[in-house]
Amino acid sequence: MITTTDLLALLPLIVLSAVAVIVMLAIAVHRNHRLAFLLTVAGILISLITVPLVSDLVPRLITPLVLVDRYALVFTVMAYAAGLVAAVLCWEYFRVREGHQEEVYLLILTALLGAGVLAAAHHFASFFLGLEILSVSLFALIAYPLREIRALEAGIKYLVLSGVASAFLLFGMALVYAETGTMEFAVLGGRPGTFPSVIGTILILVAVGFKLSLVPFHLWTADVYQGAPAPITALLATVSKGSVFILLLRYGLESGVFRVPVVSVLLALIAVVSMLVGNFLALRQNNVKRILAYSSIGHMGYLLVAPVAANVVGGNLAAEALLVYLAAYFAMTLAAFGVVTVMSPADREAEELDDYTGLFWTRPWLATVFSVALLSLAGIPLTAGFIGKFYLFAAGSQGALWMLLGALIIGSGLGLYYYIRIVFQMAQAPAALQARPEARPVGAHLVLAILLLLIFGLGVYPAPFIDLLHPEINVPKQSAAQQ
Amino acid sequence: MNADLVQASNLWPFIAYIAAIMVVIAAMLVIPRFLARPSRGRATGEPFESGVVPVGDIHVRLTIRFYPVAIFFVIFDLEAVFILAWAVAFREAGWIGYIEMLVFIGILLAALVYLWRIGALDWRTERQKLQDARLQI
Repeated sequence: MITTTDLLALLPLIVLSAVAVIVMLAIAVHRNHRLAFLLTVAGILISLITVPLVSDLVPRLITPLVLVDRYALVFTVMAYAAGLVAAVLCWEYFRVREGHQEEVYLLILTALLGAGVLAAAHHFASFFLGLEILSVSLFALIAYPLREIRALEAGIKYLVLSGVASAFLLFGMALVYAETGTMEFAVLGGRPGTFPSVIGTILILVAVGFKLSLVPFHLWTADVYQGAPAPITALLATVSKGSVFILLLRYGLESGVFRVPVVSVLLALIAVVSMLVGNFLALRQNNVKRILAYSSIGHMGYLLVAPVAANVVGGNLAAEALLVYLAAYFAMTLAAFGVVTVMSPADREAEELDDYTGLFWTRPWLATVFSVALLSLAGIPLTAGFIGKFYLFAAGSQGALWMLLGALIIGSGLGLYYYIRIVFQMAQAPAALQARPEARPVGAHLVLAILLLLIFGLGVYPAPFIDLLHPEINVPKQSAAQQ
Repeated sequence: MNADLVQASNLWPFIAYIAAIMVVIAAMLVIPRFLARPSRGRATGEPFESGVVPVGDIHVRLTIRFYPVAIFFVIFDLEAVFILAWAVAFREAGWIGYIEMLVFIGILLAALVYLWRIGALDWRTERQKLQDARLQI
């Protein structure tokens, strides 16, 4: 039975759903881009404000479906903040383009709702529901510029990939359910896996691999990243990947999947291959969005160190490493795609490497933000990316995962090449110092400044951030005892 | 119950089943290669329609208007299913179920208002809308 306290604990999700309905009605009554944007920003801010109110009530299991705990709340804050950034970028991006642009905000809200559900999911049903809310919103967002053939292609490709992932996921869940008779993560932990349920688990992991575009399942990732509008790519690269990772760690810890030897070996292999292949494929690209897409495959590989290490070092350290890396990854990815968004003129996107030649001369502020974001992605000290990698290293070395750490070092070395390549391109003297008509999208520049501060803040003085991020995920033994 | 016992008894039918599928597929792919005679008649490539000669192109272009209608039907039909499930368990669900269903139907209504206002329920094509607008002038 649901009590008032339960409803209060769900407040961040409930407020966001209400805002989505309000924005939809507002579009129906009075179609206005500015109104939809302002309502969305206000709604996300109110949802963010509810999080501190809720944080005293957690951890709380609300029906078997949803477990609101600090781990979920921390990620919810990150996802909502990323959604806010994406909304501001969308405002700058779609303002100068034709067509009905209001529904973008509606879809961003539902995508955030899906991410919030995924972060708190504690049951296969909420796992699947959250994933579908998130993915269905993303199909429409990716294909939003309906007249652009590449965006449509990206949307269809993402639809096919997600469909395949959902099919694997459902079949895997069915196999696990057939064997164990339960869909709750924590109850699964108490039942030893035998033959069909291990197969089912592997199928579920394949679906997760598709959603995270890890290496054997990465085939169309770059096309999707390239075809989607730049602010939407930012959302896709951060919120969608992050929430699936959050879920993977919770599912793996609570259901004891990581303890199954086959699964942990497979995960380690996928991590190594993703780090190497993702970074190798990025080397030869000349399109900034494609470089960022392949580098994100590599980053997903790095992140997989945390779940693999969780088996040895325990859930808390793994969750902390995951959240710190995700926070850093969110800030730098949003900053990078934010620069691409601001750089894009109204008729196309600034995605070729040549578009960035001499940026330090023509638009020094953007070039600075972009280079800091890229250096942070490469993991240079004094930036957030370094602290994230440091955490993964700490988790990996405590777990004695030397092969993974070796791949991480090689991958980072390769990454340095193509990140620095973009920075060099920006530092080259431009052929002709043409005065570009400088638009002044104040909102986007403000967001970029905040992201820049975050990247440096996390990199130079991470202690207060890490205290905030401290997750306290519940360990499997404790949750098994509750049953 | 002993987990290993379950595993051993479940395993073999499963493997035999998979193996049988493989054998059937392989047979279906391999046997026609040996049995079929190559024939290059005038009508070999045409689809078989009970002896009737196919007429026209199969790629008929339907107006896009049909797709929204089909999708709305599926969406609202599916939501009727949820309401039906609630109606069956009306007493067990109690007041909380009632309030939840009110919220659910409220969101549905909001979606319907949205669809109506953006003109998704308007059956006319763009050209017909233009014509109607001219008639009104």
